[in-house]
Amino acid sequence: MAFLGQEAQLRELQDRFKFLYAAMFVLLGIVGARMLYLQILSGDEMRKFSEENRIKRVRIAAPRGMIFDRSRTLLIDNRPAFDLEITPQYLNESGDRAAVLRQLSRLIDTPPEKIQERLDKGANQPRFLPVKIKTDLSRDEVAKIETWKIDMPGVAVETEILRTNVYADTATHLLGYIGSVTQLELPTLNSRGRSYSLGDYVGKAGIERELEAILRGRDGMEIVEVDALGRRIREQARGRVLADASAGRSAVPGKNLVLTIDQDLQLTAKEAFGDKSGSLVAIDPKTGEILAMISRPAFDSTAFSRGVSPGLWAELLNNPNRPLRDKTIQDHYMPGSVFKVITAITGLEEGVIDEKSTFNCPGVIRVGRRPYHCHRRGGHGTVNVVEALMYSCDVFFYRLAQKIQSVDNIADWARRMGLGARTNIRLSREVPGLIPTEQWKMDRLKKVWTAGETLSVAIGQSYVLATTLQLAQLYATLANGGTLYRPHFVRAIESPDGQVLEEFGADVVKKITLNPKTIQLVDEGLYRVVNDPRGTAFHQRIPGVDFVGKTGTSQVIRLSADRIYQKCDEMQYKYRHHGVFAGFAPKKDPSIVVAVVAEHACSGSGGAAPIARAVIAKYLEKYHPEMMRAGALALPKLRPAPPAVEEEAPPMPEGTEIEALPLIEDEPVQIPAED
Amino acid sequence: MTYTSMESELPLDDPGFRAGNQEEEFRKFNFNLLLIQVAIFSIGMGNLISATAVQDKSQGLYLTQLVWFGVGALLSAFIVLFMHYSFFSRTAWLIYFGAVILLVLTLVMGRSSLGARRWLQIGGFGMQPSEFMKLALVVALAKFFEDDKKLGGYTFRDLIPPSIIVGIPVGLIMLQPDLGTAMILLFVATSLMLFIKINPRTLGILALCALVAAPVAYKYALKPYQRQRIVTFLDPMADPKGAGYNSIQSMIAVGSGKFGGKGWKKGTQSQLNFLPEHHTDFIYSVYAEEWGFIGSIFLLALYVMLLMNGISIAYQSNDKFAMVLALGITSIFFWHIVVNLGMVMGLLPIVGVPLPFMSYGGSSLLTAMIGTAILMNIANKKFMF
Repeated sequence: MAFLGQEAQLRELQDRFKFLYAAMFVLLGIVGARMLYLQILSGDEMRKFSEENRIKRVRIAAPRGMIFDRSRTLLIDNRPAFDLEITPQYLNESGDRAAVLRQLSRLIDTPPEKIQERLDKGANQPRFLPVKIKTDLSRDEVAKIETWKIDMPGVAVETEILRTNVYADTATHLLGYIGSVTQLELPTLNSRGRSYSLGDYVGKAGIERELEAILRGRDGMEIVEVDALGRRIREQARGRVLADASAGRSAVPGKNLVLTIDQDLQLTAKEAFGDKSGSLVAIDPKTGEILAMISRPAFDSTAFSRGVSPGLWAELLNNPNRPLRDKTIQDHYMPGSVFKVITAITGLEEGVIDEKSTFNCPGVIRVGRRPYHCHRRGGHGTVNVVEALMYSCDVFFYRLAQKIQSVDNIADWARRMGLGARTNIRLSREVPGLIPTEQWKMDRLKKVWTAGETLSVAIGQSYVLATTLQLAQLYATLANGGTLYRPHFVRAIESPDGQVLEEFGADVVKKITLNPKTIQLVDEGLYRVVNDPRGTAFHQRIPGVDFVGKTGTSQVIRLSADRIYQKCDEMQYKYRHHGVFAGFAPKKDPSIVVAVVAEHACSGSGGAAPIARAVIAKYLEKYHPEMMRAGALALPKLRPAPPAVEEEAPPMPEGTEIEALPLIEDEPVQIPAED
Repeated sequence: MTYTSMESELPLDDPGFRAGNQEEEFRKFNFNLLLIQVAIFSIGMGNLISATAVQDKSQGLYLTQLVWFGVGALLSAFIVLFMHYSFFSRTAWLIYFGAVILLVLTLVMGRSSLGARRWLQIGGFGMQPSEFMKLALVVALAKFFEDDKKLGGYTFRDLIPPSIIVGIPVGLIMLQPDLGTAMILLFVATSLMLFIKINPRTLGILALCALVAAPVAYKYALKPYQRQRIVTFLDPMADPKGAGYNSIQSMIAVGSGKFGGKGWKKGTQSQLNFLPEHHTDFIYSVYAEEWGFIGSIFLLALYVMLLMNGISIAYQSNDKFAMVLALGITSIFFWHIVVNLGMVMGLLPIVGVPLPFMSYGGSSLLTAMIGTAILMNIANKKFMF
């Protein structure tokens, strides 16, 4: 019975199978429809996603152009730097993690806690990405790590390109430095039709910045296949095709620069400065080519190329000698007696004096109730223009100024000779200096020009300001007989394989018509400064070479009456005068002009002239050895500087408001700090 | 109870009777099922060779799978040739409690991996008792419904015993935890109960209770990561690199196969490791990427044939135990297929459910093969009384 009962029940159950089929086909129908949807309807889109997954565009960084000096000495290079990295994934797989860290700690001389600290910093990124542990490993450390690498899974030495200033802190300001593009800079950079992205390197100062477009190459692009961990698949054996492999392109290196700079002169100048601060510019007067251009103190720009440490940055910012400033173009100084050639030219060209005109120098003259001192207390007696330049006699130029009458006449000649305006050397932070006129004072200070101020201008004081570069340019114009060249520092642009793409020659701004007699008299005066025993720079002469020039002293502060004749080197360092010197050689057919400002060096003859002399001597030795007598250089090199009083700055009359000088300040470029 | 003359006349103990039936058995032998099984496994093996060509933990595992297939084939042959499915009826509770004990042992001394204890180490082999539990549960339910002669719909009270039979293993598996397998057990049991017929009123109340209980269960019964999976399923793009990653990458793999597929061993999603668990739960994604829509539909068709054979064996069986057992085994296959495909194609949350004959895994393959063997056995022996 039960069997039959089961039979009936089975029949009843069999009736329900239609529901089973229905349920099965509905659910499997949904699954099938999903296949249709994903693979046919969304297939193209999904294929695109899968391609995006595996195909990555990898940028190949283009090397920046290199920078050479005029004789192809490499100045700025791209050099490998070695970084230590740990990939946490592999480190953890190694089993004895602590032992690896201990061993590594011994090799790179860093406590294991410090390494762990670095690893912790990278803890929030995927574990297959390497964490940087130490940068700039020494070759020794690299060798040690490579030797023991097999025992330290996850530890690797990565090579990076480091923009390197081959001569460390020489010409840092001119060459400049690079840094990473910041968020703030992006819009400006990309507005010039170039494409930068965060983390790219860009020139931040100096030539690196000014000639960015030439130095920067074009990054390449490589199409690679990666796996889910972002690891590159090197073999293409599996037959998968990289759809747009042709879209890759190789990197184009930046163009090389050949500068007009002579590295030997740079090094000589740097050595001559020693630990003095200041600046030097050497120019070829026949072309306007910059031969040397340094600012001291400096810093090693290599330390900037991967982001400067906050500590170093603060140190540079707080250094009272302002190493971040390019003192050749960013700072202007009262030129002092170096400016007297302008007053002399004005007098001679305007017919106020001639070679025979003389003035008596009693040591002091009075204008109204105010005394105007000569730097020599006893005076120089009766002097003509040549002697006045030789002695640097202040009273002669006071008298001459009185005869010239208007400061505007002097200013006119100063401007004609290129002062008071930027030289357009194409370094963007150049300041124009200042040549005051009556109108200028009225506009600027709402005060009437006084006759006494004209006297101060005549000896390069009062409101007169010039950069070291301008002084070099001025003396170059004197040296070549009146042609004003725009100073330039790029000789040629070359392709990475050394082919000259573009050459730069002399760029004449204008030719100034000067009476040959004027030139002759001024040159004679400058010659006597160095070569007459009575000259202020006699001790700096180079026997056998017609090295000429003019010393100057630039006061930093106005002196009160009781301190007028106080010895400069007894003053507080920051109140000491700047020494200035500008000169050229040889007198006939000059081929090098040098201007030097030695900050707080007290005198031009003792502080600045020796530096100029060293550079000129080096130049002649290198390019005109026939002019240098044997042993000429050895002569007065170590002789103590002559008594400073011989060419002390004339005390600046009280009431000259040098505090109101329109100093042009600009902040150094902030570099993003790397932690 | 009275026995019909027909039943008592069957000379079950006569060796000659059995021998005489060998021929008949061979004639009735369900070759379809064997062919379908071999076809799907072959596709699965080819696919596994590609999926395990990836340089990771799965590399070369298809060889192990072949060994399991050999073991499965021997077991199948034994079941088909030397057993009668009524053996399972007689030993149903032994099998059931044996499997439950294995589950308990798994919880106590199982191998822990990724925060779950699903593996039991026996000798050098690891096995997943939860896989065998599926068959054991179906056998137990078949036995229960065979013994239960109730006609008409089951009411609440009638449902209590089978609910306990289902609840014990489901609870133990949830403790591992293995949400996917627990779900499959529930689905299979529910399918069987619905088939056996539940009183309409009871069904209505149960459905209502389930609706109310779902949010509560979501809040309290699930572990945070399990809840995360459901959230991710509802909005995979909320965290495409994190929780939604698997689901998205799997859909990309399936879809990027387009019509014709990328070709064997050329699926980039799997070969480059974008696809997670590409040799186990996401095996279909590997297949769909490399064989496209054509391949997918072909595989689906094979599965449909497998299921229809299973259902037809159930339909033709001549006792309730066989019918419920055959349906239970078929529904195990069915739910694995639906849940796995739904999951890898973004229709269902990601729960670890293997695809029969395709996914790598010895326990899963053995369960599928034993299940198929039992189906064949039912087909062969149906008139053997």
